[in-house]
Amino acid sequence: MTATAPWLASVEALFNRNISASTEARSLARRLEATSLLIEVEKMLRVRVCVFNGGLALLNGNEAGAVPGTSVPGTPVDATAVISGSAPALLQLLRGEGASVAARAGVQIRGDAEIANLYRQLFAAAKPDFEEELSRWIGDMPARRLSQVARSVRSWARRTRRTAGENIAEYLQEESRDLVSKPEHEEFLQGVDAVREATDRIEARLKHIEQRIKGAN
Amino acid sequence: MTDSDRTVDFGFERVAAADKAERVRSVFASVAPKYDVMNDLMSFGVHRLWKQFTLSLTGLKPGGSALDVAGGTGDLTAGLLRQVGKSGRVVCSDINPAMLDVGRDRLLDKGFVGNVEFMVADAEKLTFEENTFDCVTIGFGLRNVTDKAAALKSMHRVLKPGGQLLVLEFSTPVLPGLKPVYDAYSFRVLPLLGRFVAKDADSYRYLAESIRMHPDQETLLEMLRAAGFAHARYHNLTGGIVALHRGYKI
Repeated sequence: MTATAPWLASVEALFNRNISASTEARSLARRLEATSLLIEVEKMLRVRVCVFNGGLALLNGNEAGAVPGTSVPGTPVDATAVISGSAPALLQLLRGEGASVAARAGVQIRGDAEIANLYRQLFAAAKPDFEEELSRWIGDMPARRLSQVARSVRSWARRTRRTAGENIAEYLQEESRDLVSKPEHEEFLQGVDAVREATDRIEARLKHIEQRIKGAN
Repeated sequence: MTDSDRTVDFGFERVAAADKAERVRSVFASVAPKYDVMNDLMSFGVHRLWKQFTLSLTGLKPGGSALDVAGGTGDLTAGLLRQVGKSGRVVCSDINPAMLDVGRDRLLDKGFVGNVEFMVADAEKLTFEENTFDCVTIGFGLRNVTDKAAALKSMHRVLKPGGQLLVLEFSTPVLPGLKPVYDAYSFRVLPLLGRFVAKDADSYRYLAESIRMHPDQETLLEMLRAAGFAHARYHNLTGGIVALHRGYKI
């Protein structure tokens, strides 16, 4: 067995604190007691999540999570469900709702899908509030200010990305003429459709004339 | 075989099992006054982060109860007291009265009174009732215990079902290239620091030697399991110089 990364322990502690503070999360944890979920993040890591004693335990994906050589009742040895996908897809699954999101996001679920869904709900219910966590270290007011700054920066970044995209598209379409604009593109496609229809009509007409010539002979 | 026949390691020396506790006691009685300063100097202050990490995993809530075995100068005890609050209870135990005196004075100076108890106790034979504590910690103490397996069983006994044991201890470096540097530091710099700051080079030579004789991460993990701890695992800190082992009583 290899060591469990300290960051996993910190994430676990964060989730467990939120689980004990949320009625919904506690109830979900009770339903998931003695089950385990294997999360496979493509090309990154495998994490085994167990619910034990009303809280989460995050282990390396290869750890069994049990005590070898002893029979501990209720201790999961094999994963009850497995979720695998890319990191963005798994994040999308966490944010979304229902199994359809998993399929759309390109996430694979093996084993007990109901358990996997309950784990997803548990993660969502115990999701860390970063402003709250920050306030533990630096106090309420600075944490509030920092969160506001972070939100402004994120909103500015989103706006800037959208504006930059629009500006680049406009330059390529209107100034350099490397790309056609959307109306021009649509006009061209309409023209292609008109030519195709005219060709079909001519073809039909020619066939009709051929048949009439054959009939006259 | 009696304790006087059986030999155990004391640093790189072999001593009679019955003598080890006394010799460890004399080492810590000697270093107690400068223990905290030396910890900061030796670890460049990183020991605070190791202890903070340990405290972040206790899972204690206000009103909970905790035992800090080999609590010494009370670093972990202070953190545990903050977590359990006024309605909780923390016991700081140590086999060495000199270390416990330093810890008690420090905690009193910090304003911790009422819900903290200090007790001279042998980790191998904890005298508390079964199923007493929500969490038991032992920080940099297990390697000094004569019979580590007995100490782990004793800590398991006093934990409540569902309670967690956290063992913070020096271990074996796993980061490539770190070991030679760490060895040179331990065997050359530490005794020098001990000689000039704590006026006791031998005790700090013992510290370096006792770390080398302490079981590595995997061995200690197996010992936790053998003592009955479930979900036992460990986290390497600072490249494995220190490891935090944890396990639950079911």
